[in-house]
Amino acid sequence: MADVVLSNVNKVFGTFTAVDGLNLDIRQGEFVSLLGPSGCGKTTTLRMLAGLEFPSGGEIRIGDRMVNDLAPGQRDIAMVFQSYALYPHMSVGQNIAYPLKKRGVAKAERTAMVAKTAEMLQLTPLLNRKPRELSGGQQQRVALGRALVRDPKVFLLDEPLSNLDAKLRGYMRAELIELHQRLGRTMVYVTHDQLEAMTMSDRIAVMESGKLQQFAPPQVVYREPANRFVASFIGTPGMNIVDGELLQENGRWIFQSQGFSVDAPNLGPDAQSGAAAMGIRPEGLSIGTGPIEGVVQLVEQTGHENIVVARVGDGLRMTGRTNPDQPVRAGETIKLSIDANKAHFFAEGATGKRLNKAAATSDGPAKSQSALKEATS
Amino acid sequence: MRHIMAKQQQTLLERRYSMLGLFLIAPTVLVFCAVIVYPLISAVYLSLFKIFTPTLEGSWVGLDNYRVLLSKGEFWTSLRANLIWTVGTLSLQIIFGVGMALVLHQNIWFRSLARSLILFPYFISTVVAVLVWKWLFNDLYGILNHLMITAGLIDWPIDYLGSMPNAMISVILVGAWKYFPFVVIAVLARLQSIPDQLYEAAKIDGAGPIARFFDITLPQLREVLVVIIMLRAIWDFKEFDLIFLLTGGGPVTSTQTLPLLVYKEAFALNQMGMASAYAVIMMLIMLGFMLVYIRRTRSEES
Repeated sequence: MADVVLSNVNKVFGTFTAVDGLNLDIRQGEFVSLLGPSGCGKTTTLRMLAGLEFPSGGEIRIGDRMVNDLAPGQRDIAMVFQSYALYPHMSVGQNIAYPLKKRGVAKAERTAMVAKTAEMLQLTPLLNRKPRELSGGQQQRVALGRALVRDPKVFLLDEPLSNLDAKLRGYMRAELIELHQRLGRTMVYVTHDQLEAMTMSDRIAVMESGKLQQFAPPQVVYREPANRFVASFIGTPGMNIVDGELLQENGRWIFQSQGFSVDAPNLGPDAQSGAAAMGIRPEGLSIGTGPIEGVVQLVEQTGHENIVVARVGDGLRMTGRTNPDQPVRAGETIKLSIDANKAHFFAEGATGKRLNKAAATSDGPAKSQSALKEATS
Repeated sequence: MRHIMAKQQQTLLERRYSMLGLFLIAPTVLVFCAVIVYPLISAVYLSLFKIFTPTLEGSWVGLDNYRVLLSKGEFWTSLRANLIWTVGTLSLQIIFGVGMALVLHQNIWFRSLARSLILFPYFISTVVAVLVWKWLFNDLYGILNHLMITAGLIDWPIDYLGSMPNAMISVILVGAWKYFPFVVIAVLARLQSIPDQLYEAAKIDGAGPIARFFDITLPQLREVLVVIIMLRAIWDFKEFDLIFLLTGGGPVTSTQTLPLLVYKEAFALNQMGMASAYAVIMMLIMLGFMLVYIRRTRSEES
């Protein structure tokens, strides 16, 4: 059952279109991330869901209600802000109690609910402190507490972890996943951090220039990016994307680029001869042997692997991964090969559509999950 | 441990820095002594004499001036007038000031123009402002009476400055008009620094516009309002030119605040010693304000 539905939602600021014809069906209890670079419309979308921004067109439904004309307080949502937005003059307890107070919950009941929430978030010893006396992580938990306390239908989270340091962020990520599992509530999470989106979400909505690029589970977004933008946005280090041409030779497809060509075995019915792009993730590139020659420009050591950036042909940069024991040095000439089964092909243009057959890759989800972890760690 | 060490041996550089510090604050300290400390001490000193202003000849009377002044009705009526004036004009300044700041904080048309125009009363010289107001208030030729009679609100001209309580009300209103821009600017600056997200969070938490004002705007303004009220209370308490020019303390002594009384004693009655005694008493009252103010700012800091 769909819990949150956006149908053909637009938002225009003056001459700038922030959100363009967005359609999203979010299921009950689902954790959905809105992911994209800054200015892609993800925050505007969340703010429209919250009722802080009014859509220029389209319809937003939460549960069985059309909420376009409902004030934020009537939508049965709670929101956690990037800056936490705690009321500075109120204590932790008063902050958490505020949404209950505004809804006319009696004092005794309020106190009990605040106590319960505080216990769940380990805030009990801090209830009488003021927000400015708390650390970033504690403030974050108070903001969560204020959202949790009245058990709303939908949680909206606007980059809630981006003000925390890296270690705490990892910890809070795990806490949020656990919280989501425990509460079973619908959560919509805005982030520009693909690691957060990949690790926490049931489905990711990748956005760019106000348009939805792909809405799918993390593994699908990683393994079958719907277009060139999604392919280049997801994954660290990013996918190598090479412009070139698709040719048909003796009934099979070949992708040809500067000085090398690759078989394109898994193309779907949309493939056409002509300008196209090939994408290959660093793990699809093997270093050591192969038909492609490159000059190593840079070796980044991460400890468990080395990331090798090489120049191929006329200024094309390709990134691959090697075992740290494999000696590769900057300036060396190396051989590369591309695993054609792991290659993605895209139509021309920055958001060129994926041309591969659906579910092209053969490796199982477990393997791809581990590749993903490596990719994002 | 480190603290003790630092006390024991101060490096040459540290000593040089403290010398430089002394050298840099010395001019301020000297000017402060010349224009604040010296007049203050002389005022206290002069208040112990009976002095004839034109010749400045005097004789020692000890605390006699204070005994006389505290038993005189004029001191108490002036103090009462002074308090009515201060409380009245200050409350209006705060109410209009905060209200106007809230209006100017909205996205209204001509906002920046309105923000500059609002400062106009504060910029204009008191003498000019008072002369304009005196003409507006004039019982025979004033436009205020003319308009009110034309509109049918009154049958006879009102004597705004020559009768009570009209005179006090007029003075309070002109004072509020003159000084509320200060409140507007200070409050507006604070309003602009309240994060929007607090209001958004409150909206989501179910707070309506009135709840948002009382739960967010007002608590956020608290600190700046404490400072504004203290500063304006001190300034309004010793306001001289506006009242002196508008009513001269009249009718009779009904708008004669303490500063006007000091002036009258010193230059109309030629009693410089008595005037100094009034001034010292005034200073003590304001010292009360100051103590509250300093304690306030201290507790905000901690």
